[in-house]
Amino acid sequence: MTFLQNYIYYIASFGLVLTGLYIIMVKKNLIKVILGISILETGVNVFLISLGYQENGTAPIFSRIGLSANRMTDPVPQALVLTAIVIGLAVLALALTLAIRAYRYFGTLNLMKIKDQKW
Amino acid sequence: MNEIIYFNPVLLIAVPLALAFLSPLLGLISKKSVKYLPVAGFLANTGIAVSLIPRAIEQTIVVRIGGFPPPFCINLVAGPAGILLSFLIAVTGFLVALYSLRYINQDGEEKYHVLYLLLLTGATGVVLTGDIFNLFVFFEILCISSYALVAFFGHKAGIEASVKYLIQGSVGSSLLLLGIGFLYGRTGTLNMAGIALFIQNTSPGEMLIPLFFIITGLGIEAAVFPLNAWLPDAHSSAPASISAVLSGIAIEVGLYAVIRMLFTIFGVTELFPVFMVLGVTTLVIGEMCAFTQQNLKRMLAFSSIGQIGLILFAVSLATSQAVAGGIFQMLSHTAGKALLFLTAGYMILNTGSHDIESFRGIGRRMPLISLGFTAGVFSLVGLPPFMGFASKFSIIRAALSLGNTWVYIMTGFVLTATVIEASYFFRVIQVIYFHNNEKPGLALKVPASSLAPILLLMAVIIIIGIFPGILTDLLHNAAGDIANKIDYIRSVLG
Repeated sequence: MTFLQNYIYYIASFGLVLTGLYIIMVKKNLIKVILGISILETGVNVFLISLGYQENGTAPIFSRIGLSANRMTDPVPQALVLTAIVIGLAVLALALTLAIRAYRYFGTLNLMKIKDQKW
Repeated sequence: MNEIIYFNPVLLIAVPLALAFLSPLLGLISKKSVKYLPVAGFLANTGIAVSLIPRAIEQTIVVRIGGFPPPFCINLVAGPAGILLSFLIAVTGFLVALYSLRYINQDGEEKYHVLYLLLLTGATGVVLTGDIFNLFVFFEILCISSYALVAFFGHKAGIEASVKYLIQGSVGSSLLLLGIGFLYGRTGTLNMAGIALFIQNTSPGEMLIPLFFIITGLGIEAAVFPLNAWLPDAHSSAPASISAVLSGIAIEVGLYAVIRMLFTIFGVTELFPVFMVLGVTTLVIGEMCAFTQQNLKRMLAFSSIGQIGLILFAVSLATSQAVAGGIFQMLSHTAGKALLFLTAGYMILNTGSHDIESFRGIGRRMPLISLGFTAGVFSLVGLPPFMGFASKFSIIRAALSLGNTWVYIMTGFVLTATVIEASYFFRVIQVIYFHNNEKPGLALKVPASSLAPILLLMAVIIIIGIFPGILTDLLHNAAGDIANKIDYIRSVLG
């Protein structure tokens, strides 16, 4: 039980990552796959953020004089996650644009039918 | 004047990035002038890179962004390998930008040039950076620009290829970020030299999981064997200039990132046989799939997969000579494959079809373009007066000098794959020159600005093929930069 308590954020983030990977690999609808990409990226972001967590830590901002840095959570993963969220947003926008175009050409969003180019 | 002006390596990244942001503003004033910006930018980059080569060889240039000391700052490490590859990116960027001046004339051409500048900014950034998250950011800039550029022509094949590429590329990027998270959580630093120092002092077993995630993530862009399903569609549906840049630069930069991870950061010497097998498998499968193709650009795309396998094989032999051979093969593959894709672009425009059979007799109608294509083929296959011979020969010689039976068997596979490569390429040459055309193609005059890069690439391939000694010194320094972990750590952290 304490294992679950100590590592709950990591377990949750891996759950999200595995869910995202499952969706991308198994689902045939293009929009579902794009949602899967988004869930995968969210899972990775949660993993990164939980790396910086400290018990009873506070925000890494020197908001009062005399605040010491040892009770603060790590600000580096927070910067990484901000960048990663923005990158994920750009990829999602591009993916949805391509999905609109693909629907216009193929008439369907079923990935099994969007398969003009084979061997 | 006796003092030489030294440029800062940051300019190699800053110039194309600034031009990419200025292009839309310039496009508001006059759409026709945006296409000259990439040409100017990469000409400047070539000059900067050439002026930095002597200085990078004598001592690796470490640029500390923001002025903080190394473990805390994001730093650029412009060593011989980094500057050589950024020189390659700048020259290829310049030549292909020159080619695109007249090749790309659709609506929205200014968007093409913005994306093109961003793609090469990302590539230069990956090659020069010394911080692992900075690698991820530049890698993403590279990948996202290439997803959009593959779909640039907007036709059915391009959209399908871009969708598949995007899905696989996003999975790769997420895995890469996961691996970076593991590394940061374990080592506490994002600086590549800092991580290398930490890993050197701990047991290698616990680094297997981050290694697996990072290599898989980067391997999707580098197109090593099980992860290359996106490549044939993407490179064959993209505009010819973008195919040249993707095959010549993007996948090689991905492979460079893999190599940097393996040698410098993780330093795993026991896993190199695995990568040797992976390289040879990629090579053999790429060449065999290319053999069955009827579509010219798809055939060239599979050939790119094969060449990446060859470079991975060369580098995983782990001697300094072999790594130098691998880097030389990177250079010759870029020159040869770019030449092939650029000439194929106009050949396809002339006949209106991608099929090899439709190029019958085009050797008579477009003599210079066909000559360029033939030179590219001979260089890639590895025939003597061309650059590809020098690079392949140096790889085989490095492989045979190891004296290991297992390596001899792998070299046998490599040479067999070269024979298969020769067979399908020579079939195309036979169709071009020795068959007669039944129907005449469109009379298309190739503009001078598209012909110039083709002639320049031919000249480069022949000159370096005849005098490979020009590059030997530089290649050995670059190989030393990659293979020597201790020197890298010492030059960054002091």
